[in-house]
Amino acid sequence: MNEDILLEVKNLTVEFTANKKITQAVKNISFTIKKGESIGIVGESGSGKSVTSLAIMRLIQHPAGKITSGEIWFNSPTLGAVNLLELTTKQMQNDIRGNEIAMIFQEPMTSLNPVYTCGNQVMEAILLHQNVSKAEARKRAIETFDKVHLPFPEIILNKYPHELSGGQKQRVMIAMALACNPVLLIADEPTTALDVTVQAAILEILEELREKYGVSFMFITHDLGVVAEVSDRVMVMYKGNIVEKNDVWDIFNSPQQPYTKGLLACRPRLDFKMKVLPTVSDFMKTDDEGNMIEIKRYLSVGEALMLNLETDDEIEDRKKELTMKKPVLVVEGLCKWFPIKKPFFSRKPQEYIKAVDDVSFNVYPGETLGLVGESGCGKTTLGRLILRLLEPTSGNIFYEGEDILQMKNKDMQLLRKEMQIIFQDPYSSLNPRLTIGNAIMEPMELFGIGRNKQERKDMIINLLEKVSLGSEHFNRYPHEFSGGQRQRICIARALSVNPKFIICDESVSALDVSVQAQVLNLLNDLKEEFHFTNIFISHDLSVIKFLADRMIVMNKGKIEEFGFSEDIYASPSSEYTKNLIKAIPKGELDDIHRNQLRRKEAAAMRKAVF
Amino acid sequence: MIKFILQRLGYGFLVILGVVMVVFLLFFTVPGDPVSMMVDQQADKTIRDAIRKDLGLDQPLHTQLYMYMRDLSPVSVHPDTPKEKEKYGFARLIPLGESVFVLKYPYLGRSFQTNQKVSDIVSQRVSLTIILALAAMFFATVVGITLGIFAALKQNTFWDGFISVVSVFGISTPSFVAASIISLIFGYMIGPYIGLNGIGTLWEIDPISGNKILHLKNLILPALTLGIRPLAIIVQLTRSSMLEVLSQDYIRTARAKGLSNYKVIVKHALKNALNPVVSTISNWLASLLAGAFFIETIFDYKGLGFETIQALDRRDLPIIMGATLVVASVFVIINLIADLLYAVIDPRIRLN
Repeated sequence: MNEDILLEVKNLTVEFTANKKITQAVKNISFTIKKGESIGIVGESGSGKSVTSLAIMRLIQHPAGKITSGEIWFNSPTLGAVNLLELTTKQMQNDIRGNEIAMIFQEPMTSLNPVYTCGNQVMEAILLHQNVSKAEARKRAIETFDKVHLPFPEIILNKYPHELSGGQKQRVMIAMALACNPVLLIADEPTTALDVTVQAAILEILEELREKYGVSFMFITHDLGVVAEVSDRVMVMYKGNIVEKNDVWDIFNSPQQPYTKGLLACRPRLDFKMKVLPTVSDFMKTDDEGNMIEIKRYLSVGEALMLNLETDDEIEDRKKELTMKKPVLVVEGLCKWFPIKKPFFSRKPQEYIKAVDDVSFNVYPGETLGLVGESGCGKTTLGRLILRLLEPTSGNIFYEGEDILQMKNKDMQLLRKEMQIIFQDPYSSLNPRLTIGNAIMEPMELFGIGRNKQERKDMIINLLEKVSLGSEHFNRYPHEFSGGQRQRICIARALSVNPKFIICDESVSALDVSVQAQVLNLLNDLKEEFHFTNIFISHDLSVIKFLADRMIVMNKGKIEEFGFSEDIYASPSSEYTKNLIKAIPKGELDDIHRNQLRRKEAAAMRKAVF
Repeated sequence: MIKFILQRLGYGFLVILGVVMVVFLLFFTVPGDPVSMMVDQQADKTIRDAIRKDLGLDQPLHTQLYMYMRDLSPVSVHPDTPKEKEKYGFARLIPLGESVFVLKYPYLGRSFQTNQKVSDIVSQRVSLTIILALAAMFFATVVGITLGIFAALKQNTFWDGFISVVSVFGISTPSFVAASIISLIFGYMIGPYIGLNGIGTLWEIDPISGNKILHLKNLILPALTLGIRPLAIIVQLTRSSMLEVLSQDYIRTARAKGLSNYKVIVKHALKNALNPVVSTISNWLASLLAGAFFIETIFDYKGLGFETIQALDRRDLPIIMGATLVVASVFVIINLIADLLYAVIDPRIRLN
């Protein structure tokens, strides 16, 4: 085995058995990671990227999953060049896992054991692999906490996971992985569950670890922007195959495979406004055997973007047209304060969490208003207040001139027909025991739409076709659909009562980028056809930028900035918005180039020191 | 934490107060005149009235309730006379002229039949029942958790299925049926070979010397029988809880750290999986104290349940009332301990 190479995977195949059906999650893949290198694996859910990483750690769940063939050669500092698949379980536990190869997982909320302190969990790894006393392990744990920039390491040491924020938890996870100075760090979607600004901080820490300590990385993510930021080389995976692997610059500059092109093109962008997002299906389709066939609709990613651009004149016209009408929804001084529980005998005055604090705005008919902010900023609460799913503490909401907070229950019922909501998680928002036809029919019956069952059924089939499904799906159950299809069913259900007003609460966050592009395009098309007004709540600024005419940036319950999305992106006025926009990994070629140069310098510095 | 304990204590007090009221009402709704249960049919009216007066039955209902509460309360005011002192056995705290403020054990009255103090009878018997319940629960917990973990680790194999099927039997067999069968088979049919008796209690009086002799082996069969249902439930619960925990992300983290299988299961999975099990154990322990009635009767094990059933036969109300109060108090105390245990196991509960 070549001295420069750290890990070499040869012809790896992993199979899963479910209900006596065998599926290949990873199909005969081969790749190498050089020492000190960072390799990014990009792919959608089910592409086999996580399975690949678990296979390296030999953590595939028995007996459902099995590595059926291949070799994983690893240049271990203690064992020499070894095939990980031939090591005994004992060797894997003592020498490899957590010691020479460590892993960071996606969900910091659930990846730490809730019943042990953070310190205990980090020290456990140290005590396991290094022959040191408890006091020494404690000292080293504090040092690693320091390395990942956790404030007050001694205090965090004695905290339980639920007492920390998401970003802090992820730092504890990283500290745990770093505790024994591994040579390879596998990070499986380490920033996906975090806010963009927290993500930026975590990525910075990981970058620092690379540059200072020369740790090699295997970075798994679905976010191309993140990959551009962290990796030297990129592998694109699709349905268990590596479809393209190349230098990060080449992948972004001149993608060769249609799937890679599609992925690059379908990302909503911050730099210009698109009319329609190109999708993966503009570049390729799969035949019955799962082979990719290239479609030459666009010559390149650049062309796909250029052809769908909205020109400055078009943007101006749209803005003008919008503000000429009378607002359909006016919100004035809306507040929602949640009282904090205080001790019974305490003399302190009652304190409140101000989830929504003195918020005023209006919405014009036919507009899409984007509501953006980080978790806990109050955007979801605001959405629910408008629908009166929560009662506000104070303020007014006028819908078509009527104050909905003064409405009686009966009028409110009728209003519910006009205002619909589409939730974030398409998996839990459909009742698993109702066929989708019945799920859509339910609100129609409630509001007496359609004269009889047959007429309703025809209307539903019509709707299903609108959201690219068909009559054959009418009698199927939710579990038979993919995430993207389910979200389209939810959209069809919301549209079934002909609403004038739809609130989408993080409706595309749970979807893969390529599916997200389809759903976003669909929402735009449907808006043209059904003429509804839309409030779109999201944490993702690029999605809002693509979809929204105007946008509200929220922070700590207050409106930080409100205006046309183009203006806000072009020249954000508040410091908060500026930071938010800066924190988004954009995946631009200039950034990639700059990162590469900096890493080269850092590598040279490390060599000079030794 | 102190606030948490005080809060739970408060709840417990309210529950006991409620039970006291119900038990008091029981006294008045049970058919039959208490006086005629104490004396035979021929006793004349003067004797009856004297007894009636002695028990305070001639007073209006609210006075009787007050006196009943005063009897039960550990601190109360009584007339400062030797007769009262002898009846309640109190310690005088603050003299208040004719009356005195006293500290005493709750006074549960005297048996209608034997005129023994109810508190003496109950305290003698309850220790036997507590030993029985603890033995049963110990057996159920140790075997149940072990089998539950075993079944979870061998999910979807023959042993998993076998344990599940057997435990369903355990859950669905009523305790008196199980008690009869076990007593018959292990006590009589093969009893002589394994040295166990079909009936018998923990302490027996030696017919010759008159000394009390401890027969620990008489605990085995009743404890096993009593433990069957909680055992079956603990097995099922540990299994499902363990399976759920083993699929959690933090178990994957622990494995990725390089921990051995044993450590992953014992340190990381078990502590999380045990929370629902602890609550079941405590609930069952409490209800075992009440549920031992059948088993004590069938095995002739002379615990509180046995005594209560006999008292029911004789309409000996003070004993029934005393036993009910004691069982309720034990229930409350055990639940309180379980709540505290919870907080020790799971730091997230301490927060609220």
